[in-house]
Amino acid sequence: MEQATPTLEELQQLIQMSNTINMEIFYWWCIALMMVIHAGFLSYEIGASRLKNALTAGVKNILAFAFIVPTFFFFGWWIYNGFSGGLIPDLDGAAASLPWASSMGPNITDNATGIFWAAFVLFAATTASIMSGALIERTRMSAFIVLAIILGSGVWILGAAWSWHPAGWLTTEWGFHDVGAAGCVHTIAGFFTLGVVMNVGARIGRFNADGSSNNIVGHSMPMSVIGLMLVIVGFFGFLGGCIIYNGGGQWTNIYGQPATLSAFAFNTLMGFSGGLIGAYLTTREPFWMMSGGLIGIVSVAPGLDVYYPPLAFVIGMGVAAAAPLVHKFLGKRGIDDAVGAFAVHGFGGFAGLVLSGIFIAGYPNVIEGSPAVNFLGQTGGAIVLAALGFIPGYFISLLMKKMGVLRVPAHAEERGLDLVEVPAQAYPEWAITGASITTVSESEVRPNTIIGETKPA
Amino acid sequence: MSSPISSWEGASTVFTFADKPMVLGFILVVAVALTIFAIYATVRHEQVSYKSPMIKK
Repeated sequence: MEQATPTLEELQQLIQMSNTINMEIFYWWCIALMMVIHAGFLSYEIGASRLKNALTAGVKNILAFAFIVPTFFFFGWWIYNGFSGGLIPDLDGAAASLPWASSMGPNITDNATGIFWAAFVLFAATTASIMSGALIERTRMSAFIVLAIILGSGVWILGAAWSWHPAGWLTTEWGFHDVGAAGCVHTIAGFFTLGVVMNVGARIGRFNADGSSNNIVGHSMPMSVIGLMLVIVGFFGFLGGCIIYNGGGQWTNIYGQPATLSAFAFNTLMGFSGGLIGAYLTTREPFWMMSGGLIGIVSVAPGLDVYYPPLAFVIGMGVAAAAPLVHKFLGKRGIDDAVGAFAVHGFGGFAGLVLSGIFIAGYPNVIEGSPAVNFLGQTGGAIVLAALGFIPGYFISLLMKKMGVLRVPAHAEERGLDLVEVPAQAYPEWAITGASITTVSESEVRPNTIIGETKPA
Repeated sequence: MSSPISSWEGASTVFTFADKPMVLGFILVVAVALTIFAIYATVRHEQVSYKSPMIKK
């Protein structure tokens, strides 16, 4: 039987539909890969916790994800689409993002909204996971959930509307360029976390009355290191989600400038390896090496689309070498960031943005009337995003502290949060040794001692 | 009927109750309320746990 020759119009429809579905498929798998980031953060945080807090750290991390998904549906996506001009919402522009809009659910004529919403949910959950590790072992679960919602479904996405949106005012007014979300995700999450950590205070036993400190080690560094490697794997999905698939045309970055995944591949890997080596040079230990790999990626994220790869290597190495020193500096000032979240994400993102102001200045914008990328725009943008993270993080957690709802009581912290919060045991065979109810009080520790878990007999 | 369509021909928005804004609004309010309740339940769980004789010194 002879088949009818398709008309030109039918062929165009076929190609268009094929492009649309390919776009959906691309972001679908980016989302799946981004889930691996959370598997990584889960493993990393559990490993970084002492045995008596292992499950609570895991539950906290999982709940952050669980609460961000609905709240991002309720208001997060609307913030992204409504606040690109600043603090006054564009009600008309954001109407399609309201939780009852026709595009906010199954819609046969809209293949894009759901898949982009989901990708942004995963970015949002990443910001909450960044904060999560820093607060382990002494923060109330309920307080953390509230802070995670504020950060993940409110603060970072406001920063994304300003800096990671084709119409964001930081880009249209200042020429801000940050293709890999070093600012809105990492800088904001890092500085928000710093503000919270300052109010939640140090874990019992971390610092002594004479000003000396003790290193509180987690119960499984291998678990943490593997978790960090999973985070890196997931970042390939994260960065894939940072590029725009244009069916039948060249990829563009989120600002509409032509870009390629090849460019992202070059610079992600070069930044990653530079970061690994940089952290190795200053610490020699695997936890910071893997964190360094992540710092390397974060620090080159603003210019992933245009950096010369060896430059990405150098930037990644330099920033990752410095980050452990930033972490030590905080420790000397009595700030107990349990996993170095500020150094990795806050410092890494901020430094990457400032350096990008030096190295990618001059690249033109495609938005009419917008300035080219420039040092002041990049640095100013970094400062704006750091402040946008720090101010709400600090003041909201300060309010929670004043209300007495931020931190667990000392006796619960000493006995271990698994005993208090979770009706399960991480390692049942170990429980009889008393490891899961280890009590360490500040008066019992000597300066510069390492506090860990009692090992099973 | 939860279906907003009677035919797939020319269909666009197909999620349940899409043609009934009052029902949509009610479900949304319930979802928001449950989310807030879950946070409240977490606070209650903590308050009870912290007072538990098992963990008191």
